[in-house]
Amino acid sequence: MSAVAAKPAAGGAMNPAAMAVGAVLTLILIGICYVMAPPVALMALIGVVVGGVLIGFGTHFVPVGGAPAAMGQAPGIATGVAMLAAGAGLAGLFGGAWAAEQGLVVAVVTGGVGGGLMMAITCMMVNFVYVFGMGIPSASGKVAKDPITGDTQAEYKSQGTEGHGLPFISFVGGVIGGLLGGAGGTLIYIELLELYKVTLPTLMGAPEAQIMPIAVSAAGMFAVGLFLVNAVLTAYNITGTIEGPHDPKFSRWPRSIVASAAASALCGLVAILIVVPLPI
Amino acid sequence: MSVKVEVIEGGVPHNTIMIAGIVCTLVCIYLTYLNTFSPVPLFSFFGGLAVVAALIWGSHTIKVLCSYGIGTGVPSAGMIAFGSGVIAMLLATRVSNVLLAPIVAVILAAVIGFILGYLANNVLNMKIPAMVQALTEMAVVGALTLMGFAALISGVFTFQGLTTGSVTFLGMALQTHQQTFIGGGLIAVAFLLGAIAIQHPFNACLGPGWKQDRMLMLTAECGFLSMIVAAVMSFALITVSPIPSILSLLIAIIGWVYTYTQYMEMSKRDAAAWLDAKMIPETEGH
Repeated sequence: MSAVAAKPAAGGAMNPAAMAVGAVLTLILIGICYVMAPPVALMALIGVVVGGVLIGFGTHFVPVGGAPAAMGQAPGIATGVAMLAAGAGLAGLFGGAWAAEQGLVVAVVTGGVGGGLMMAITCMMVNFVYVFGMGIPSASGKVAKDPITGDTQAEYKSQGTEGHGLPFISFVGGVIGGLLGGAGGTLIYIELLELYKVTLPTLMGAPEAQIMPIAVSAAGMFAVGLFLVNAVLTAYNITGTIEGPHDPKFSRWPRSIVASAAASALCGLVAILIVVPLPI
Repeated sequence: MSVKVEVIEGGVPHNTIMIAGIVCTLVCIYLTYLNTFSPVPLFSFFGGLAVVAALIWGSHTIKVLCSYGIGTGVPSAGMIAFGSGVIAMLLATRVSNVLLAPIVAVILAAVIGFILGYLANNVLNMKIPAMVQALTEMAVVGALTLMGFAALISGVFTFQGLTTGSVTFLGMALQTHQQTFIGGGLIAVAFLLGAIAIQHPFNACLGPGWKQDRMLMLTAECGFLSMIVAAVMSFALITVSPIPSILSLLIAIIGWVYTYTQYMEMSKRDAAAWLDAKMIPETEGH
């Protein structure tokens, strides 16, 4: 088989045994946290897992076009899944971090709005470039009619392409993806920050005001690390391009949820163990 | 099934690079421990050499992984390497026996990478033969690179040392948590310096004209370039004396100039033809 004729490695098929292993692994890791860490840490880990799942699920909404989109041969934003997810999530995280003092709900909503805003601006400017710069209309190659507006797509699609530009449904999907990703990233950050604010002063023997730079920086680094891990795993799930929620590849999301939950539980546990007295 | 898009022909086998990489990196990181016995942390520059060694190993791992069409672009591999590596590295610095920290970082990162590889290969159904080993290796590379940067920038690799520093205020030395590797957020800069240096060489050199020595030389060049930036940052944290930072900076600049000229020679060697571009000529009369 030549490389050109090869299908993408990951098909839509699910692997039930591996998914069960992933789910059990998540529960085991949460159990380890329950045994080893104080009760406040268990809530933090659950928050981290929820945040990771939000990132993994939200990334499926984002219209990712990759290199074909840069040449106007596929719909979506012309870069990779990992870059878009990281961009949306980190924009959200920075937004949410400003509101960290206002409480969990306000901060998470702010993070979601930040991520959604970033994706909305990106999608709009991408469409500006497509329509006015490259002179191509927006048309989806995967569906006959836009599920939201009902506009037909086939007349606008150039032959030999999979569609091009950013149809309305992809735009909406991008904003939803940004909302979920930004909220998830902020949730991870806030949960870890609250945990470090409570536990680091006793661990390092210094007042909370002095510890704050370390708590903020460590929580931020762990949030970025967790975000990138989840974003890349989701990118591996999508393999290549996706148009948005109407794309057939969107139905792969259950796999991503299991993988994101297990990966977040693993990385979150390591992030929590940093404030637990270690035997060695 | 997945198809191998590129073949590895000739050159040093991957296992040799892996073993050489892990040994060199660990030895260099342990050499920075000599700082404890010297009044001035003169041996910090070994942290930068550890970074270069780890990056060379890591970029070849990326080559092995991305030879299969994973469909997500090469940069994503660098991002997951450091995303999982930073988590392992931060916990490893907490180990109370300092000498165990690099080993703990390797083991912890390997466990995290292995589980991530299993998730990618089985749960996400990637079915790529090199996946589990490659993600394991890359998590270790990420953790060791960050540890090397930590040693280069602040002279130590313990959690206490990375979070506690001192500032001189009106002639008094005060303890601070702000002006440190972690508290000051320098770890974020180190993170991206490494993540870009690890993914760029294969991204730039891939294709039918790929040559192993040229790609690895580019990695070394990227590593020394990152080391220059990190050495400049170390002026802020190694406050005892500027000599260690100047030493690191000199070594980084010499290494960068050497690897850059070597890389240019190799690029010219592998090119079909080349023409030195001239400056844009200044036109007169308008």
